[in-house]
Amino acid sequence: MTLRDHAIRYGFIVLLFGLVAYFAIAADGFVSPQSAVFIFQSVAITGVLALGVTATLVVGGFDLSIGSVATSAMMAAAYVMVVLEQNAVVAVVVCLLIGAIVGLINGWLIVYMRVPDLLATLGMMFLLVGLQRIPTEGRSIATGMTMPDGSVANGKFGDAFLALGRHRFDFFIPNLIPVSVVVLLVLAVLIWFFLEYTRFGRMMYAVGSNERAAELAGAPVKAYKIWAYVISGVFASIGGILLAARLGRGDIASGNNLLLDAVAAALIGYAVLGAAKPNAFGTAVGALFVGILLQGLTMMNAPYYTQDFVKGVVLVVALVFTFALSGRGRE
Amino acid sequence: MVGSAVFRVEGLRKSFGQNEVLGGVSLELHAGEVTVLMGANGAGKSTLVKIISGVYERGGGTMSLAGQDFAPNTPAEAIRAGVVTVHQNINDGVVADLDVATNLTLDRLSGSGAPFLFNPARVRREAKAVADRMGLAIDLKARVSDLSLADRQMVAIARALAHQPKVLILDEPTSSLSSAEADRLFALVDRLREQGVAILYISHRMSDIRRLADRIVSMRDGVISGVFDKKPLDYEGAVNAMLGRKIHLDQIVARDSAKAILTIDGLRIAPGARPISLTLGDGEVVAITGLVGVGKTALAETLFGVRRPLAGTMTMNGKPYAPGSAGEAIAAGVFLVAKDRATSGIVGGFNIERNVSLPFLRRMSNLGVLKRRLERATARRQIEELGIVCRSEKDELASLSGGNQQKVMVARWMAQDATLFILDEPFQGVDISARRDIAAKLRASANGRATLLFVTELDEALETADRILVMSEQTIVGAHRNAEVDLDRLLAEVAGGPLHNAA
Amino acid sequence: MNITRRLLGKVALGLAGATMLMQFPALAADKPAPFDKPGVKIALVRYLSTGDFFQAYLSGVEAQSKALGIDLRVLDSRQDAALQSDMVDQAIALGVQGIIIQHGLTESMKDAAQRAVDAGIKVVAFDVNVENPKIPQIEQSDRDLARLALEQAVKDNGNSWNAGYVYVAGIAPLDRRNETWVDVKKKYSGIKEVAMFGTLDNPIANSVANQARSVLSAHPDIKVMFAPYDEFAKGVKIAVDEAGLNKGIKIYSADISTSDISAMREPDSAWAATAATNPAVVGQVSVRALAQLLAGEDPGHNVVVPPTLITQKELIDKDIKNMEDLSAKLPQFAHADVAMPAWMPNPNAK
Repeated sequence: MTLRDHAIRYGFIVLLFGLVAYFAIAADGFVSPQSAVFIFQSVAITGVLALGVTATLVVGGFDLSIGSVATSAMMAAAYVMVVLEQNAVVAVVVCLLIGAIVGLINGWLIVYMRVPDLLATLGMMFLLVGLQRIPTEGRSIATGMTMPDGSVANGKFGDAFLALGRHRFDFFIPNLIPVSVVVLLVLAVLIWFFLEYTRFGRMMYAVGSNERAAELAGAPVKAYKIWAYVISGVFASIGGILLAARLGRGDIASGNNLLLDAVAAALIGYAVLGAAKPNAFGTAVGALFVGILLQGLTMMNAPYYTQDFVKGVVLVVALVFTFALSGRGRE
Repeated sequence: MVGSAVFRVEGLRKSFGQNEVLGGVSLELHAGEVTVLMGANGAGKSTLVKIISGVYERGGGTMSLAGQDFAPNTPAEAIRAGVVTVHQNINDGVVADLDVATNLTLDRLSGSGAPFLFNPARVRREAKAVADRMGLAIDLKARVSDLSLADRQMVAIARALAHQPKVLILDEPTSSLSSAEADRLFALVDRLREQGVAILYISHRMSDIRRLADRIVSMRDGVISGVFDKKPLDYEGAVNAMLGRKIHLDQIVARDSAKAILTIDGLRIAPGARPISLTLGDGEVVAITGLVGVGKTALAETLFGVRRPLAGTMTMNGKPYAPGSAGEAIAAGVFLVAKDRATSGIVGGFNIERNVSLPFLRRMSNLGVLKRRLERATARRQIEELGIVCRSEKDELASLSGGNQQKVMVARWMAQDATLFILDEPFQGVDISARRDIAAKLRASANGRATLLFVTELDEALETADRILVMSEQTIVGAHRNAEVDLDRLLAEVAGGPLHNAA
Repeated sequence: MNITRRLLGKVALGLAGATMLMQFPALAADKPAPFDKPGVKIALVRYLSTGDFFQAYLSGVEAQSKALGIDLRVLDSRQDAALQSDMVDQAIALGVQGIIIQHGLTESMKDAAQRAVDAGIKVVAFDVNVENPKIPQIEQSDRDLARLALEQAVKDNGNSWNAGYVYVAGIAPLDRRNETWVDVKKKYSGIKEVAMFGTLDNPIANSVANQARSVLSAHPDIKVMFAPYDEFAKGVKIAVDEAGLNKGIKIYSADISTSDISAMREPDSAWAATAATNPAVVGQVSVRALAQLLAGEDPGHNVVVPPTLITQKELIDKDIKNMEDLSAKLPQFAHADVAMPAWMPNPNAK
């Protein structure tokens, strides 16, 4: 391998370690198990969303609705528990169902109605941003809120549900690893294994690279595409569950920042190990990269706009790595 | 020698990384002369063309046009200087979403001196002039995306000619044209030759070469391996120089089959077409030949379950066969090497190993988890079997020559035993040696299945098949055992001759 | 099911309206023209509408309008400055007698407001400066809001502590609150701002929580977090809880909502106090100021709605669980005696 190949392959990982080393010196308290766990926790939600959108990127699609699926799931969880006074299990099941149904509808619009993916999921995004406001007429959901009809909602976020956001597992140090980090790691390994080691994942890559070739190789291309959107929707709803558990209420939000951060992580992932394609490991590293950057910058008192700027720079550099240096862009 | 050398290339070099593609190419083009450039896939023809047309930067050497130094940095510069190229990839030469008239005059819409306002009437007027000059009979208002490949090709060429070139480079221009369309192109080339344009014509088709060539230049491994300009031209010699070995037509020993594998009865693939009935036997290699657009691909896709027949039945090994999808066809042992590997075969993001395993992932996995070791072993075996030239099974397809890419496509479907093996234009864009390798492999492995080829080139059918069927107007119009073939009758059938006399 | 509930709600509202209309002749005599007859038409032209604050503001506008027998039109530009300006013209065309401009940009609304005034329409503006002497400005006093919260912080913690401060520059109310914070820091040299952070990435609480976690690990010496916006405070509280520092840090904020109340009431909650203006009251005051103008009275150029301090202790002692309890049990929160001439009906009076 030439120097250039090495640069493409390991450049981003080296950059990541360089960043850690820099913050370790520049920011007090950056290097500690708590700090490390926290970085994971801060990227857990966007990371889960990013893993989902990776699935749609693999089949050559895109899902702009993940941010609003997450916030809709958060509202649904709050509505189920606070207004309908159901337990945590019901709330989780409802959220996952919402994610799956939105994914199915997205897939159906794209595959059968032939709506271009960006437009279909953009439409879905607006639809969900509006839909999540309808049950409460635009109010955020919290225990004791007044409903549009004047009654007071007395349900509560169940302890089991809140534990998803607040419980910590012991890991050498007591109470170290939050549930959301475990969820992120488990889902990352799952989707990585699925994409790399199962025939379904392989076929999804084939569909994304050359749809007609995949079809002529006997793949049910439409089904694979729909499944990709279902995966994306379900992952986004899992992100929404974690969000609800962390906030402890249902917040009206478009989730656009979640979407942008998740997409950035997935795209940064293209550059990791010179993959030049959507991949689960890269996405996880991409999310981590953004997390480390934001943690370090915040610890050094950098204002929020510099953080957006730096995020943008990282994304652009990653895209240059992917498309210009590795030469894949020309294919 | 007809004219003086208007265009001269001297010692041209080009490397990609450590891979030297051009090792000092020298070439002359004369005004009013057609120079045919022959070369196997990977000989460096395309690279040469791309340097001349300003797409690639040269690595060394000089070029001159009419005595002036010629060093285009962009394709636009080359065109302005009078060196116009019609590339092999048709869609590079046209804008699919615009109409024909706009396409023909596109180059006048940009650049300095172009009018600010878009005037549709003037565009149509100018387009009509261009089209008339070339004898182009296409609706100028039609959108290019609605045209057939052949018509798009004509538009691309017409567009190039609108520049009044001094040097015209045609890169495999007839590869998707029917013979009538090709004749129109030849007539045009003749006219341009008379007008004194220097033409570089790149082709694999011997019939084209015989029809047009004033000189033949053969290329091999990045260097010129032979120049032939003495009349009569030494075609054999040119092919030899290109391949670097003596080739001769293998005499096919036509085999007969005792056991029927697939029986087609009354199959109609297009409205108004006469039904097709035929039988394919075990161990038999059958070639169906015919012009572009006579329904060969439609028949292949019908057999493979991608397309539904309008009427008729199929029986395979005594059981009814009516596949509803490619997946069902594959499960029944019917495999298809599809036409046009770039769009229908190759998965660009995959290496050789993953391209080979693609259709059989179910059989290569356990509860959905891939058996990667089996996958690799299969790929290695197939690379060995078909003599695919590569560094390892991890090579990307893009790094292989066209012939080797096609071998990978064939290897993909030969990794498992087929009942019916269909290959649609398997020799398209494949150099002669790769084509002979593939044909030999097909014949050697033919026992235990029926093999069906769809080819436009008659030579390919004669070289490969036990039986040759002729297709015309969406149906089968003739059948020949490949032994003492009555070529006159066959050609008449291909040309859509007296249908009702066909056997 | 939701649809049914919504429909029922609408029917109920319609019925309530009808009842009111029937009651009016009796009340009408007490009021000056044009409120002696029901059906005065006004428009609320909004720039911001999503979120609890704006919902509550709207409910206040509706309640006061109902009490005055006003026919209210709501025009919502959803953060589209150009559209908001067009909507003022639309309101003029509708033939309204009064317009409330709620938020927006000075640049886009100044001319539109002038056009309305020129058309003989009375205009009041809430939280947007339209630079027009004829238009009263309704304001919640952000400086007072910050002052109340910080005074409580000094009262609880003395006048020497390390503070984390959540702030995003360029947002008008936050900028005004910031002025007070700067003054307080000047006044008490012992108060040190060791970290400043903040973001408006939504969900805001989640993003601020991530930042606050980083800040807390970089500055374990922080005693007080000043987060003068409840979304910020919510995020800081999540981070403090996650870091297990809820007993060592106190949070002071501004604004209030039902979910804020439950967060403050949690056992060992770090969220000590908040200062808030009841958005519903601001909505009522907006309508009242406009009504005064229409009746030919002068509400004054700056109509300031005073804030209320709400402490954790009060919430627990008085068993306040939501906004309704808050209005019921803290009268100063439920009603502000601003723009209240004798004839003005109080929508809160039962």
